[in-house]
Amino acid sequence: MTQLNVVGKSVVRPDAYDKVTGGKHYPVNYSLPGMLHGKLLRSPYPHAKIVAIDTSEAEKLPGVKAVITHADVPQNVFTPVYFVPAHAKSMVQDFVVMSDRVRWAGQPVAAVAATSADVAEAALQLIDVEYEELQPVFDPEEAMKEGAPQLHDNAPNNIAKAPSFSFGDLEAGFAEADHIFEGVYQTQRVHTCYMEPRVCVVDSETDGRITVHSSMQHGFGLREKMAVALGIPESKVNVVKPTYIGGGFGGKLDVGHIEPVAALLSLETGRPVRIEHTRGEDFIATTRNPIKVYLKTGVKNDGAYTARYIKSILDAGAHATHGAEVIMVHGLYGTFFPWKCPNQTWEGFSVYTNNIIGGGYRGYGAPQGCFAVESQNDEICEKLGLDPIEFRSGNTHKEGDPHPVLQGHTLNSYRLDDCLKKGAERIGFDRRAPANSSEGAKKRGIGFACHPLWVSGCLGFPDIYEHSGATVKLNRDGTADVVSSCIDLGSGQITMLTQVVAEELGLASEAVRVVYADTDTAPFDAPTHASRATYSAGLATKAAAVETRNRLFKAASAVMEANPGDLYLEDGKVLVKGAPDSGVPITEITARAESAFVQMTEEGPRLTTIEEKGTIIGSASQAPPSNPSPVAAQFVEVEVDTDTGEVKVLHVVHAADAGRVFHPKAAEGQVEGGFQQGMGYALMEHLQFDQDTGACLSSDFLDYKIPTSMEMPPKIESIFVESNEPTGPYGAKSMSELCLIIPAAAIANAVYNAIGVRVTELPITPERVLRALGKL
Amino acid sequence: MGNKSHITATINGEARDFLCEPRQSLLEVLRDVLYLTGTKEGCNDGNCGACSVIVDGVLLDACCMLAVETEGSSIETIEGLAKEGELHPLQSAFLEETGMQCGICTPGFLMSAKALLDKNPSPNEQQVRHWLAGNLCRCTGYDKLVRSVMKAADTLAEA
Repeated sequence: MTQLNVVGKSVVRPDAYDKVTGGKHYPVNYSLPGMLHGKLLRSPYPHAKIVAIDTSEAEKLPGVKAVITHADVPQNVFTPVYFVPAHAKSMVQDFVVMSDRVRWAGQPVAAVAATSADVAEAALQLIDVEYEELQPVFDPEEAMKEGAPQLHDNAPNNIAKAPSFSFGDLEAGFAEADHIFEGVYQTQRVHTCYMEPRVCVVDSETDGRITVHSSMQHGFGLREKMAVALGIPESKVNVVKPTYIGGGFGGKLDVGHIEPVAALLSLETGRPVRIEHTRGEDFIATTRNPIKVYLKTGVKNDGAYTARYIKSILDAGAHATHGAEVIMVHGLYGTFFPWKCPNQTWEGFSVYTNNIIGGGYRGYGAPQGCFAVESQNDEICEKLGLDPIEFRSGNTHKEGDPHPVLQGHTLNSYRLDDCLKKGAERIGFDRRAPANSSEGAKKRGIGFACHPLWVSGCLGFPDIYEHSGATVKLNRDGTADVVSSCIDLGSGQITMLTQVVAEELGLASEAVRVVYADTDTAPFDAPTHASRATYSAGLATKAAAVETRNRLFKAASAVMEANPGDLYLEDGKVLVKGAPDSGVPITEITARAESAFVQMTEEGPRLTTIEEKGTIIGSASQAPPSNPSPVAAQFVEVEVDTDTGEVKVLHVVHAADAGRVFHPKAAEGQVEGGFQQGMGYALMEHLQFDQDTGACLSSDFLDYKIPTSMEMPPKIESIFVESNEPTGPYGAKSMSELCLIIPAAAIANAVYNAIGVRVTELPITPERVLRALGKL
Repeated sequence: MGNKSHITATINGEARDFLCEPRQSLLEVLRDVLYLTGTKEGCNDGNCGACSVIVDGVLLDACCMLAVETEGSSIETIEGLAKEGELHPLQSAFLEETGMQCGICTPGFLMSAKALLDKNPSPNEQQVRHWLAGNLCRCTGYDKLVRSVMKAADTLAEA
């Protein structure tokens, strides 16, 4: 690897100062003069038809400026997911912003704009809705049966999408097996729990143009979906990029109800309209889809796979939205292609129910797959007495192998074996005792899991946007401004972009600023999702910085009377190769580039050259060249109290091949935060609903428990097995989603090692542990 | 929407007065009346700690206190943590240790940690973790936050 000055160092985050002094630049802080406040009326029924709505009393309440119902909302049907076209063939179009048909408890049926949120709230109570209740169905397997209530006319048996893949000869593979293992693995509905609510402010002009501020993960996706929802051209919508948002984790990857509704209310009143979710509304706005995985695997005595059959049933909820894509990613990258098995069949079903609509969530279908496959792998090793590390190594890919999904691409960097080896060494895997062998009521166990294939973006996926762009401009004071539509969710995208530009232009990272961007002025970028920002936006920004540097060298060559090809940058100066004393400060070149042709000096007029003139600026817009796979293995030590059923995580070692690590402290932060979410998924988080009414029962942090600093293990160790990904920026690829894909499987395997009984349904609550132990 | 009360309080060392409705929380008044938007709302029901402030030396969730109750009291918010442009050692530690990601919970953690260090200038890790358990963060896994607080305690001890 080449010598780097900024990339690879834990520089101070450019957003840190604002954030430690009370963070100003979040969408939740945005307001405009004359702004109205909107509120949504939500259906108490999970399945119903709206017979009539009377808004007349609400309209009379002083302070109420507008009330809308489905009758005022364009009935345009589309996919609200940001990262695909609104009418993508690979997705399902079944979403309208407001409808007279209710499919989940909490679905918005009317909205009010008023002079304050309190008035708007009060007005909601005055809206009279007459519903005709319909029979709901909440269990996807029940929903697939003949005679079940049908949610959508064009989806017989409530199947929104049923993809499948197959290769080899499944029957022959199972016939060849020495052992066949079968299991069913169930995961639950969980929430991303971003800490900043979904919030938007939408303003409108008299010519029908609208400007949108929102806490979301993709400005261009929001622009497109707003245009489709409202039936107006894209150019009438400008989405302002939030400086940063208060977390997303995939939960802000689709247009919700709030932005189009706020737009309609603004167009009607001519005033800006703000809508902010309450925490209770956020809990029913997005979720990780529960998936039930039926898994049957054939193996030889030595542990080699011979055949695998997988059936995955995903609860999409009331509309397909992400559920049409999560099922695909779960199949391709969560269960099927990570592992080398010669004969495989996977069948996926994304099924409508009257549950809340699923969303994106870090890992996107893979945690459900990893939990199933890695739980069963553990069972196989236990039953056959195989070395579990060799077993993983033997059934996965190797560096230099063809990419199992992307034709014509290679696994250029792939160090899973190193991750397994180093992780095992660090936790002391060789001290692991046989299952259920510790004495006393509190039993210790060690387990691990890995995920052998993941993504650095979406290149190769049907219909998914992937390109990125940036503009980089040098200022006369020796600083650089970056315009990029890549949104910082908190994980450090702004820091990464400044590091890239500083590296290419020979500047200190503090000399680079990521500045204002909106969809009117900045180049397109796909969302911050799918572990893609460093790889894709990083590469595009690097290309823009190289353009800028070329432009700088062109101007410098005129000033310095040298060939641009002979110039290089060092310590803020342009130098001629072979002449280290030749340096001219970048500031001087930039100042001359921006100056008048004739400059008046003490000595009189001085002519400069035409060639050195013009802003030193570069831009790029490009798709990334590949989709390299990061890999990771995670080792966990737990203590299970067999009297109370409580599982405590004591120690975590996460070993990852992320290519070149840009910012070690930020990378550790991804591991630590990912483990927190994964531990919540494994042990405590469960978004629960009343099975008669569909009402959310865990709509606050009292009833929806996420790990606090007390539950978190005191020791989370990150090991970065650095490789050089030749297609990535400075050798980097992705890392962040794997930090959440693996923990549930690793913890489940550690719990098994502690108590000798396997829990195959998440979360592994004390109740489930005691039940598994036969104590309940 | 009722009569407004006139409240006088000291906020970050400055005498302030404001009008508020009896039903308004301190959080709502800080953010929407006084435009002190550093204090954040994460849940509005006392479960996340994003709105942690210190009132008369007591750490509390601003969403769970009525603004009218603050008459005559001294309120500390994140805006008052840095003095004369100089960051508090807690802020410096969070900044240097990358003790934040999205940063929405950060003001709450800083105020909570300040209340801890005001009471116990040299807490051990267990005490820090126990104290911070009233503040939720979804990005960091708390590790770097805990390290930052420990580091700030060391810095304050040396000063």
